[in-house]
Amino acid sequence: MYKYWEISKVHMKEQLTWRADVVFNMLFTIVKILFAYLLWGIIFQGKSMIGQFTFHGMLSYYIVSSFLSQLEMSSGISWEIHDRIRQGSFSKYMVIPVSVQAYFVFMEIGVVGFYFLFDLIAAVVWKFAFRIRFQFTNDPLIMVIAVVMAVLGLLFMVQLSFLLGIMTLKYQGIGTFLMIKNNLMELVTGTIVPLALFPAGVVNVMKYLPFYYVTYLPSMLLTGHCEQEALKGLGIMTAWCVGIQAVIRATWKKYIKKYDGVGI
Amino acid sequence: MDRTMIKVENLSKTYRRYKKKEGLAGSLTSLFHREYEEKDAVRNVSFSIGKGEFIGLIGPNGAGKTTLVKMLTGIIAPTSGMIDVMGYYPNDMKNEFKKRYAVVMGQKSQLFFELTANDTLRLFKEIYEIQEKEFKKSKEYFIELFGVKDLMDVQVRTLSLGERMKMELIVALLHNPEVLFLDEPTIGLDIVASRQIRGFLKEVNEKKGTTIMLTSHYMEDIRLLCPRSIVIHEGEKIYDGDTAKLFEDEKTIEEIYRKGGEVHV
Repeated sequence: MYKYWEISKVHMKEQLTWRADVVFNMLFTIVKILFAYLLWGIIFQGKSMIGQFTFHGMLSYYIVSSFLSQLEMSSGISWEIHDRIRQGSFSKYMVIPVSVQAYFVFMEIGVVGFYFLFDLIAAVVWKFAFRIRFQFTNDPLIMVIAVVMAVLGLLFMVQLSFLLGIMTLKYQGIGTFLMIKNNLMELVTGTIVPLALFPAGVVNVMKYLPFYYVTYLPSMLLTGHCEQEALKGLGIMTAWCVGIQAVIRATWKKYIKKYDGVGI
Repeated sequence: MDRTMIKVENLSKTYRRYKKKEGLAGSLTSLFHREYEEKDAVRNVSFSIGKGEFIGLIGPNGAGKTTLVKMLTGIIAPTSGMIDVMGYYPNDMKNEFKKRYAVVMGQKSQLFFELTANDTLRLFKEIYEIQEKEFKKSKEYFIELFGVKDLMDVQVRTLSLGERMKMELIVALLHNPEVLFLDEPTIGLDIVASRQIRGFLKEVNEKKGTTIMLTSHYMEDIRLLCPRSIVIHEGEKIYDGDTAKLFEDEKTIEEIYRKGGEVHV
């Protein structure tokens, strides 16, 4: 197990190499929250509620949701695998005594761990700067479920990115798959507009997709909404994680034999 | 006691590759009708290598040397034939097998360019589950051997090609592999760096008893390091024996390379 933590540490160390990246990442988070403050300030002018949200409730949702979205950086995994398979250097991961998938999971933990810390600081600073009255759930069980769900959601995204990456073994190119995934993510995660503003029928369909549980529902649960969906959501997210793992195993077993390492 | 480390019999590898006619018309046609051709990269190759041997694998570009190394390390699966490396079928990619060999490919790197060589070594210490005491001992031995003490805390991307190759070799040798596969380790290096690398490899082979298979276009590498050579041409083994004998007649080598790349003597 230590070897995997060392993988996380190495990738966290890599993130700390360039100071400008660290500063600009924090600035980007701050600018996003500032933009949301101005945007929702205009929308809420003369209104106390939109949907089920107050102004401060909406900002609370936005900060939590954008915080979780910032942590979802798994698409880099797909491109790393894609590029290395195409260049013939994927063997870098194949010749060392580790599970290749676990390598990518712990690599992501290292990268996310770094951003987690800095984004958290930025979010807390802006909570006080804008005097946002944070609306967190009072129920500790819901809070735990929301956190577990968010972790499973991030894990699922890493699994999905790994799966799409190894599809390069079969299809050589995965641009189309990634485009579909990204468009679906933007639609379903509710990062920009809460799903509560969508028609009920559309949201019901989305609730069977994993993306709903990656950032949207954990954000809603943490800010005191949709609490009746917590347990069901946790079950669905767990099922997706288990299901996709089975698909990854089968795909890896079937297609790794196709790797020709051409490019070396 | 069987001291055979590597044994292959009738090993073959066939690649399938996409083919199209030149020009826009050819590209458009290929959208509807795709043509493929099969290329035999390795054909019915058989040999065995004993413990502690230093073997040279030579042949022109496209002869099948790298494909052979990739099969021996499990990176790719053979199309047919028998392959046994230290009792394992390499393409099963078992971790216990991976702990017993190392592979260094001249143009591929295991180093983290933004970090230092020490950071990579620490990672590989954990990956190969090397005890702290053993790790320190090996690290000190190789740092001394390669003369890179002052470079261990320097960002890898700022190292020269020769310095980087020394670091690659330290990373590969850290877990004391029984078999070391080297694919063009001196490619792009100047005469001094090449000579140094050759010296290190010779010492590792002699002192640690590491079985080494070396692929190189630099005949000097092969001639000075490998008592035995295997020559591959168009996927087939055409020579397996004494290196000195092979180099007795320069024409033999020229003939081998006639259709392929250059020979750097």
